[in-house]
Amino acid sequence: MRRPDLAACYAVLEIPADAPLRDVHAAFLRLKKLYSGESIATAPLGEEFPEERRRTVLAEIEEAYARILAGRKAEPVRPDPLFSDAWGGERGEPGPGGEGPYRGPLLRRLRERAGIELSEISRELKLRVELLRALEEERFEALPQDIYLKVHLKNYAAFLRLDPAQVAEDYLQRYREWKGRSGPSG
Amino acid sequence: MTPTTKPREGEIWAVGGGKGGTGKTFLTSSMAAHLARKGREVVLVDMDIGGANLHSFFGIGRPQKSLTSFFEMGASLSDLVTPTGLPNISLVGGDVHSISSDKITFSQKLKLFRQIMKLNARNVIIDLGAGSHTNTLDTFLIADKMIVVLAPEVIAIDNMYHFIKNALFRKVKKTLKDYGFREIVQHIWDRRQSYGITNLRELIDYLKGSFSYIGTVLDHELAGFRIYLALNMVRNRQDVLLGASIKSVMNKYLGVPVLYAGHVEYNDAVWKSVRERKPFILQYASTSCAREIEALIENVDKGREISIDGGP
Repeated sequence: MRRPDLAACYAVLEIPADAPLRDVHAAFLRLKKLYSGESIATAPLGEEFPEERRRTVLAEIEEAYARILAGRKAEPVRPDPLFSDAWGGERGEPGPGGEGPYRGPLLRRLRERAGIELSEISRELKLRVELLRALEEERFEALPQDIYLKVHLKNYAAFLRLDPAQVAEDYLQRYREWKGRSGPSG
Repeated sequence: MTPTTKPREGEIWAVGGGKGGTGKTFLTSSMAAHLARKGREVVLVDMDIGGANLHSFFGIGRPQKSLTSFFEMGASLSDLVTPTGLPNISLVGGDVHSISSDKITFSQKLKLFRQIMKLNARNVIIDLGAGSHTNTLDTFLIADKMIVVLAPEVIAIDNMYHFIKNALFRKVKKTLKDYGFREIVQHIWDRRQSYGITNLRELIDYLKGSFSYIGTVLDHELAGFRIYLALNMVRNRQDVLLGASIKSVMNKYLGVPVLYAGHVEYNDAVWKSVRERKPFILQYASTSCAREIEALIENVDKGREISIDGGP
């Protein structure tokens, strides 16, 4: 398969090639919204910018986003023996979707493998770095109630392009075990 | 090689954008005030034919010498440069009850452009006024930096697209004229339906695809066609993001690169400063609005743009 031309992908998302992942994410969401719905930026063009052309643009944006993310995961910032193992080292069942169960340390490794700083996630999700660190270190006492925690986990997972529902389910199972041990609160 | 091949030291900026009332003259005067304060020699040219009022932003009356003398008496442009009272800023006034844009001949226009390029200043800034008249477009196209001023509302956006599409079409026609293709361009455009062409970008792609020689020429000539976007009268984050949307649409629809140079918040003090006839960024230097204007001008000057997705 032809190696994706990453420079072109960044051009489609209209960001520099050294943009942090957070910007890649933000640009994607912004452009997707622009070309999916109504905007005074596109309305004046009317039939000159027909629906069909708009759909093509959307498809290009989606593809560019996917390729950039894939490219970043395929080129880890530091050598990672786990990577060549196709995630297998984490649970013995290699392949896509086989990373689980998602626990704090695994989430941290996946994040580091993607070259993403906690501060990037913090800015994007408007969550304190300390809270994210507690999440990865499974310091459950420092985390909010499970109803909020679930939302944070899903957002965190989406940022890392993991399955949000699976991450939340796996993580909350551990969290509830801990909660059961530490007795009813309040 | 003639001696005139020495590169020009100064830079010409042109400020246009189609719709009136978006703040073109206001930003032009701000550019002059900011650059002059940094020690740059600036000459302003008021090309807002019919509505010239750039002088009033500096608190001076209508200059006695104006472009009228150039067009009607054959005066030389450098003789029409009038001081504004502010250091480093002078002005070619555009009083223009007597000339209409349609009466300007082709040779007058070329002469004007030649003399604008010879003006002795680090920055020549041309206020184009509203509209998409061919003279306005051609003046826009001689600039080293082409700046459009936009307000966040649909009519202004509509007019700006019209303005830029027409500027690009002029540029394409002018480029290909030298290669004997001018008639072909117009011919294809006039019959675009039968060619399956719906917009200018498709026309350009068609020309490139049909004549590979043209493709090389167009790629080369259009490489420098990029627009600096200044978004004025911004009231919220959504308005700020609109600038990024315009940039995107211009790029993906017309293939025109846009640098989003900056945005300026809506501020009543701007109107006050216009009434007081004093440059806003000098009079209200401490406002966030003034800082936004300065950042915008610096971005144009350095060929940069703001970052939308990267936050503080």
